[in-house]
Amino acid sequence: MRQTSDVPLGAAEPWLVAFDTNRLDRMKSRVRDGEHKRFRKDTVPDVLSECDRDGLSWPRRAARLVRRMCEAEGQHPVIESDDRIVVLRTIRTVPPIYDPQTWSQLTKDRTLHELGPISNICANWGMVLSQGLEGRRQAAAKARESVQDDPDSLEFLDCAIETIEAVLALANSYVQEARRQGRNDLADILAHVPAHRPRCFHEALQALRILHAVVWMGGHYHVGLGRFDQYMWPYLKQDLDSGRLTLAAAEELLAEFFISLNKDSDLYPGVQQGDNGQSLMLGGTSRDGADAVNELTWMAIRVAHYTNMIDPKINLRFTPHTDLSLLTLATQLTRKGLGFPQYSNDAVIIPALVKHGYELEDARDYAVAACWEFLIPGKGMEVVNIGAVSMPAAVDAGIRKGLGQGENFEQICQRTAEDIRQQLQQLVDAYRKLFLPPAPYYSVLMDGCLERARDLSHGLKYNNFGVHGAGSANAADALAAVRRFVFEDKSVQPQELLAALEANFEGYEPFRRKLAEDGPKVGNNDAAADALMTKLFEWFADACEAIQDNGRGGRVRPGTGSAMYYVWLARGKEGMREPAVGATAEGRRKGEFLSANLAPSNNAPIRGPISVLQSFAKIPYRRVFNGGPITMELSGSVFSDAEAVGKVAMLVRTFAQLGCQQLQLNTVNLETLLDAKKHPEKHKNLIVRVWGWSGYFCELGPEYQDHVIARHIYAM
Amino acid sequence: MKSGVVFDIREFALHDGPGIRTTVFLKGCPLRCSWCHNPDGWIRDPQIIHGQAGDRLIGKDYTSEELAALLNEQADILRANEGGVTFSGGEPLEQAEFVTEVCDRLDNLHIVFDTSGDGTETALRLVAEKVDLFYYDLKLIDSTAHRHFTGADNAPILSNLRLLSSLGASFVIRVPLVPGVTDTDENLNAIAETVRNLPGLVRVDLLPYNRAAGGKYSNLGLKFCPLYDEQRELRLNAEPFERHRVPVRIAASDMPIRKPVPA
Repeated sequence: MRQTSDVPLGAAEPWLVAFDTNRLDRMKSRVRDGEHKRFRKDTVPDVLSECDRDGLSWPRRAARLVRRMCEAEGQHPVIESDDRIVVLRTIRTVPPIYDPQTWSQLTKDRTLHELGPISNICANWGMVLSQGLEGRRQAAAKARESVQDDPDSLEFLDCAIETIEAVLALANSYVQEARRQGRNDLADILAHVPAHRPRCFHEALQALRILHAVVWMGGHYHVGLGRFDQYMWPYLKQDLDSGRLTLAAAEELLAEFFISLNKDSDLYPGVQQGDNGQSLMLGGTSRDGADAVNELTWMAIRVAHYTNMIDPKINLRFTPHTDLSLLTLATQLTRKGLGFPQYSNDAVIIPALVKHGYELEDARDYAVAACWEFLIPGKGMEVVNIGAVSMPAAVDAGIRKGLGQGENFEQICQRTAEDIRQQLQQLVDAYRKLFLPPAPYYSVLMDGCLERARDLSHGLKYNNFGVHGAGSANAADALAAVRRFVFEDKSVQPQELLAALEANFEGYEPFRRKLAEDGPKVGNNDAAADALMTKLFEWFADACEAIQDNGRGGRVRPGTGSAMYYVWLARGKEGMREPAVGATAEGRRKGEFLSANLAPSNNAPIRGPISVLQSFAKIPYRRVFNGGPITMELSGSVFSDAEAVGKVAMLVRTFAQLGCQQLQLNTVNLETLLDAKKHPEKHKNLIVRVWGWSGYFCELGPEYQDHVIARHIYAM
Repeated sequence: MKSGVVFDIREFALHDGPGIRTTVFLKGCPLRCSWCHNPDGWIRDPQIIHGQAGDRLIGKDYTSEELAALLNEQADILRANEGGVTFSGGEPLEQAEFVTEVCDRLDNLHIVFDTSGDGTETALRLVAEKVDLFYYDLKLIDSTAHRHFTGADNAPILSNLRLLSSLGASFVIRVPLVPGVTDTDENLNAIAETVRNLPGLVRVDLLPYNRAAGGKYSNLGLKFCPLYDEQRELRLNAEPFERHRVPVRIAASDMPIRKPVPA
């Protein structure tokens, strides 16, 4: 077997795949052109009528939905002549299981998370693959014996079994169709998986494809793919060792699997196109503490480089000691401009998880939810994004009230801390009424749900909430400006600042520029600004740690991301629990976006990425551990030659060495973005990372396009 | 203690020397090269530029202690990534005493000195003691053409280069390729002949012309009037160097990659 890790730095194109790409080039272009959409049907199974007619309970409705969706898909299995991995979604929407009126009655006085169905978690794919659905059915049957007198548990298990049988029936429909087409290769595979443990890598990929697709058919979304190179490796290794597969043939299968993840993704619910949470984690530390990087880690990056599509979204775990050549390969993927890989630093994340009650082996097994929030596949029913604390709003309230009453800086800080606490309390209070609908099929894919005869919606081993700490750089810069100009050099009168904020800086332009340009700024390794950012996160962590129970037997995890809140907190959004903020004391006008995730304020003069990393390395990540990346845009010209690519890899390594937690690098050219806004038809395939996800630029709303452009203007 | 005028500090400067580097741009330059893309580096004194986002003062005074302290905050990172600090400009020889004082205060960092060579012999001797690697520009060997396109005689530049080599310094020769001006066979051949026997020569870098050169002029109230045809096709001509067995490479252009995202 070729040892990819031995390829020296700068070796000729180690990122290139070894297989003949003809077949998949054609498949890729068919998927890009949407040719598979011709199979889509306008009819949707009417699940609601039968549920109402039979007076089914909620769990039974959820199971019936999965069954009817699988049956409907099974009526018209799609196998194209060159497909080697199949299952195509043809039904555009997931039908309702309650009418709107009943739904609103049932959910009255309850808090629903986003759209309602369980989302943004990750199954234990490795467990399900290795047991097969038959193994899962046996687990359910066994549990059934011990809960004979518990109707709820019985009902749950029966529902779970109904969904297992539905998926097996769907697989069987594909077997029939494959036989009809003379595709005995495919028929043999689908006759074995997902019912049983895969006998080879090809079967494992096929099993994952169908198991994963059905989760979406049940109305769930942001369905993560977990530690792909870990749970898939045994199947690949066996094939490579036995000579059953060459490396090139394995790459080709993997590439087809990756392409297949792009077929249904426009049908997935999400905030914007591309925001579908098909996150795939690679690398890192194994459950026993060893280096988990294997041949599949390298292969997956190479194949993602080849497929060059928005799914799956590649994440890479690493440590300060990870081989630079792996980071160099990953940088070649960054160069593609897909907005990934996103990097996570095991050396920071694992100890933080352990400190907060995660078992060491579980902590070593973390993956990410749709965007970046850490969770343990199969063991976490965590709601990692119950909302955001607006740090700029907290600081702004402190400044306006504090200065208005002639208070000193310490008192303004106290007000800020208290505001953060209240914002958090409001979110947590709302989520104490959280209602998660039953999810019998998803439960099959989790650790212990069948064994304990308890639906996933009742919780798993880890049941924490996560909250974004949004706008930290803006907030710290605002506090720093007040401390410097109002309290230290006294060059600004409190009343003048308040009047300028009230006037949204109209008529105060030189004053605004002083605040925006001359104050201490996060991102310059400036002790004054960075210390205040650290304070903000400490107040946030204090508030989270003060909440002993989130109502689901978990705690509240503070994070560093902003998600969409960098827009919403600046401009407001209908129905948002979080406060919107007006003009702010770091010289930001009302309505201007906050910085996304961890990035300097958009108007701050910054020396470059080293100082940015140094600033964000100061965050107390042991306490602030929900995730949320440092976000940097690199100009495409940065990757002009192999030497420069190597330097970007060094920058990534520096991020880990400094003790930062998570990093997103995006590659894009301002010129291209401006042109794409003007001539979208010419840039159909332009992909940008927007926050937690990558999407097609031309499919973003104009406000998001503008923000990506604005971020780029200030980019280093 | 000396102080100097800096018009920019850029981290992660990818094309200013080996490894991860931070580049300090010193303000003030004796040359007025027709293709200069940093006109904000011409005048030593701080000045106002009028950008789209309003006015901004460029040029900041630093004492050698302040600048060295700023750079030393990153020393571990720069060292660990085979990099260091680059002094550029403007023309850093104009502030040679300041630069040497800063160097004395740096925490064991690799130093690149990016110069046009247009300065006094004293200045060059001063910095040569502190610098690990010179980036030394040679633009035109013909003295009349040099005067025409840069406003200055090239005699001191050429004699300083010989001096530098005799001092045992290492240097990369940097040739900005300007269409129809410096990219001719004749000029590149003359440069190759000038440098081929100098013992300190590491290699020659050819720097393709950057069509964004005129970008900063209007903000400074200046007009960009190149004495050559910007649109003329550039000759990426390494052959004269290869012929003289001078190691040569074409440095990455800072121009954005224009290709759309490949399908």
